[in-house]
Parts: sequence; structure tokens; C-alpha cells
Amino acid sequence: MEHQLETIGRNMFAIFGVMALCGAAFMVASKSAVHSVLGFLFAMLCVAGCFLSLDAEFLGMAQILVYAGGIVVLFLFVVMLVELSKFKEKGVFQLQTRSAVIAVIVGGVAFLAAFRNLLFGTASPEALVLRPELAQGLAVAQQNAQAVSRGLFSDFLLPFEILSVILLVALVGAVVLAKTERV
Amino acid sequence: MPIQAIPMTLTQTLVMGLLQIVVVLIAVFIMVPLLTFAERKVIGYIQVRLGATRLAGGHVGITGPMNRIMWSMGKVPMLSIVRGLPIFIADALKLITKEDIIPAKADRGVFTLAPIISVMAAFGVFAAVAYYPGVMFYLPKGFPIVGGLPFQGFITDVNVGLLFILGLASVGVYGIVLGAWASNSKYPLLGGLRSAAQIVSYEVPLTLSLLVPVLLAGSLNFKEMSILLATGKGLHPLAIIPLFIGFFVYLTCGFAETNRVPFDLPEAETELVAGFHTEYSGMKFGFFYLAEYANMIVVSALATAFFLGGHYLLPFGLQRFIPETVPFLGQPSFIFFLGKVCFILFVFLWVRATLPRYRYDQLMDVAWKYLLPLTLVNLFIAALIRFAF
Repeated sequence: MEHQLETIGRNMFAIFGVMALCGAAFMVASKSAVHSVLGFLFAMLCVAGCFLSLDAEFLGMAQILVYAGGIVVLFLFVVMLVELSKFKEKGVFQLQTRSAVIAVIVGGVAFLAAFRNLLFGTASPEALVLRPELAQGLAVAQQNAQAVSRGLFSDFLLPFEILSVILLVALVGAVVLAKTERV
Repeated sequence: MPIQAIPMTLTQTLVMGLLQIVVVLIAVFIMVPLLTFAERKVIGYIQVRLGATRLAGGHVGITGPMNRIMWSMGKVPMLSIVRGLPIFIADALKLITKEDIIPAKADRGVFTLAPIISVMAAFGVFAAVAYYPGVMFYLPKGFPIVGGLPFQGFITDVNVGLLFILGLASVGVYGIVLGAWASNSKYPLLGGLRSAAQIVSYEVPLTLSLLVPVLLAGSLNFKEMSILLATGKGLHPLAIIPLFIGFFVYLTCGFAETNRVPFDLPEAETELVAGFHTEYSGMKFGFFYLAEYANMIVVSALATAFFLGGHYLLPFGLQRFIPETVPFLGQPSFIFFLGKVCFILFVFLWVRATLPRYRYDQLMDVAWKYLLPLTLVNLFIAALIRFAF
């Protein structure tokens, strides 16, 4: 049964990954903004599925809660408020199509060149850990909610707090920008 | 109650899961129409009228002779509760057989997708809800494939069950918003925008109020949390204070999340015709209806499990004062869970019959100015009780 579940999990990861890519492609290609948001939502849910098939249930649920439940709803809210139907008739890829295609090809080749070994080489026997002396603590955690919270709130507390301050700065900046525009 | 880990093959696990899903779905499909019937009757009695009585109360039919005798004696037939009951079958038949209209200018795909998302989110949540954290009964030996195996009171035992529930519930808002947008009409759009703002706002205090039981239980697993909070073992006696406050905050936010009165602004009839589902008819409307009532049941189940002591008799962890040796009252039972769920569902109807609707600015004030600070203070108290005492 364990073996079967492992195989199923690996296959599920592939299925969810392909589905996420399809959602992302739909998001880029669709002409209506609301359809784009739907594609994005689908991609996000599939990424959550990828996390779940990798036994990272906490991350998967956080993905659904934060992206599907929060961020995409706000996207949809804004898209519904701003009437975009005027732009519907224009072509999808009307802006800088050629340079965009070139950039994507160059980026893809560079990515493959850099991560060739990572993608197609043999996997390392042990997981890569940022600070090996803390790995013991993570191994003790029984569930990955515990592991994540241990990482965030004890081992890497300072970087975590600094990150949240950076987000706060972005928030304040957004408020300031919006205010000056209105006056 | 220890759960025996009987090894099951993959087929058995899948069949067992399917069986449990079917049972839960049937239970929900029975509870929802009964709830609509109860809604008519309860509101009727609160407003000093009889509610639905007429369907089986005519002078013809099976109950006709009895009714004729009752009326001739100058009395209202006393079985009026039973006599209105067939109305829920009529309701369901009406929804199924009604013409399914899609407006000409609507976005057909999204218009169809919206009720599906609503129902899927509402029903998917039941996967992680534990009605009884243990084995309810053992299937008879003769049962094909899964004979003799325990039938547990939950479909899956998710490590992060509470997050699963909150996540899926937050996906449910898409049904309303997309349905509103796809209708391509003014009133639904306004209803949808209101709904998005309302649900996103109330999700914040809702989640924070649920953090109190999470903090006190030290787990995100639905089953573990409900057992620990119900028996009250390891809880500080003062933990009743944050649980008590949290319960009322959670229930308030639950009303808002399910779009019930007094927070039913997305479908405020007086201003918005029928809000987000104005353009819907037939079973597509029925799906929204189903999702709303299923959500009510989920909110009640969560409130029961985390605040009202779940499958034990006394709420807020007071159960510890009844020793486990007391028969029935000291023992866990599914009946207690069901009774409490029904009581909270009754509160939903009670509030609907009593309170008027909030104004929109009042609605937002309640969420951001009162409930949010209250939940934060409550969370602080809970943390203090958990770690300082």
C-alpha cells in the first residue's frame, strides 16, 4: 500500500503540474480579464495540489488560503470594477510580441543550461539544508505545520520579521502613491 | 476511544472513503430540505402564524377525512407540523423541473461554472469535518469488500484539517462573485461586489476567532482538536473565557460568511432584486441555495466541535466536571453532536426571524472596528492563559 501510494503521489504531482501549466497558458491566452483571473485561480489550486502530492500539506493549504482565498479574490474584485471590455477586440499579444518571444526563448535556454544537472542529473541522497545545525530540530517535528512554524518562528525569526517589515513598507508605499494621485 | 489501526488495502480504503462520502452526502441532502421546511415553520411560529400548513391540509387526499373532521370541530388540525412537511418535496421538484434560463448576454461558461464552484466548495468542506472522532460502528461481516471494517465518524483525518476547511470555504466566494459577473446585469454585479467585500472582510475575524481553539488545543487536526476541547483535559479552567467570547465572534462571522440575515446584503431584496442570483433559475439557482444551506451546516458543525464541546454533553470544556463513569451523560455520543448542530441551525432561523438587516457601512464597521480588535484581544487572552498559567 505504501508503495502504491508513493507511485500515485508521483503521478499526481505530474498531473497537477501539467494542469497548472494549462491554467497559466489559459490565463495568458484568454481575451477576457475575468477568464484570465479564472485561469490564474486554477493554476494556483493546481500548485496547491502539487504541494499536497509532495506531502507538504501545510504549504498546500496555505497556498489555497492565501492565493485562492485572498489574492485572486482581490484581483477579481478589481477586474470586475474596472471595465476592460473596451480592450477585448484587440489582439492578445499585440504588444512587443517579437521581443517577448525572443526573451522567453533566451530565458528558457539560460534556465536549462543553469539547471541542467538539477533537472536531469541524479538526486542528492540528502536534502539540502541551509543551516545543517538546525536540521535536527526540523527532523524532530512530526508534522510539517510544526516544521514550518519552527523554521519561521524560532530558527529564522529575524529574517522572517524583516521580510514582514519589507511588506509593510510596500503597503505604506502603495497607500502614499494612491493618496498623491487622488489629490 | 482508541482507533484500531486495522490494515486496509488500497481498494478497501477507496471503497470505504466512497461509502463515507455517500453517507455524508445523503445526510446533507436530507438535512437541507428539512432545514428549508424548518425555516418556514420556525419563522412562522415566531411571527405568530402557522407557517406552511396547506400542502397536506386540504379536504381531499390521504389526510383529507381527518382534516375535515378537525375543521368541522372548529379547530386547526393539530398535526400542522407534519401536514406542511411535504412542501419540501414540492420545493425540490419545483427546482428540478423549472426551466433553466441563461441570459442572452451572459458569459455562458462562467455562468454555468459559478454554481458548480459554490456547491463543490460547500460540499468539499465536509471531507475534513469529524462528526464523531472515532469508530461509529463496525460494518457487518457480509458487506462486500469492506465487511467487518470500522466505519469512522469522519471521511479523512487531515493533519491540517482546519486550514483545509477555511481554504475551501474561501474558494466558495468565487461562486457568488463569478455568478454575479457572468450574469452581465446590474443588480447581480452589485450583489457580487458587496459579497466579495463582505466575505473577505469577515474571513479575517472568523479565522482569528478559530485561532483560539487552535492555540488552546495546540493542533490543526479537526479530530484531535474536537476531542481535546470537548473533554477539557489539559485545558486551564480559565480557558472558558476566550472560548466563550470566541464562540460568539465565530457565530457572528459565520452568519456573514453564509450570507444569512442580518448580513444578507448580497441578496438584499429591497435594493438588489435577488442580488447575485437574480438571473439564475432552475437547478442552477438550486445549487446556490444548496450551497448556502450546506455552508450553514458546516458553520454549525465547526462551532459545535470547537466551542460547544462536540460529541460530549457540556460546552466550553466543562465536560471535565462529569466523570467518564457516568452512563450516557459522561460518554461521547453522536446524538450530542447532532443536537448541538440542530440547535445552532435553529439559532440561524431565530436570528433571521428577529433581526433586521444591517446597512452596508454598519456591516463593514462591525467587522473592522469591533470584531477584529475583539478577536485580537481574545487571542491575546487565550495565549496568556495557555502559556502564562
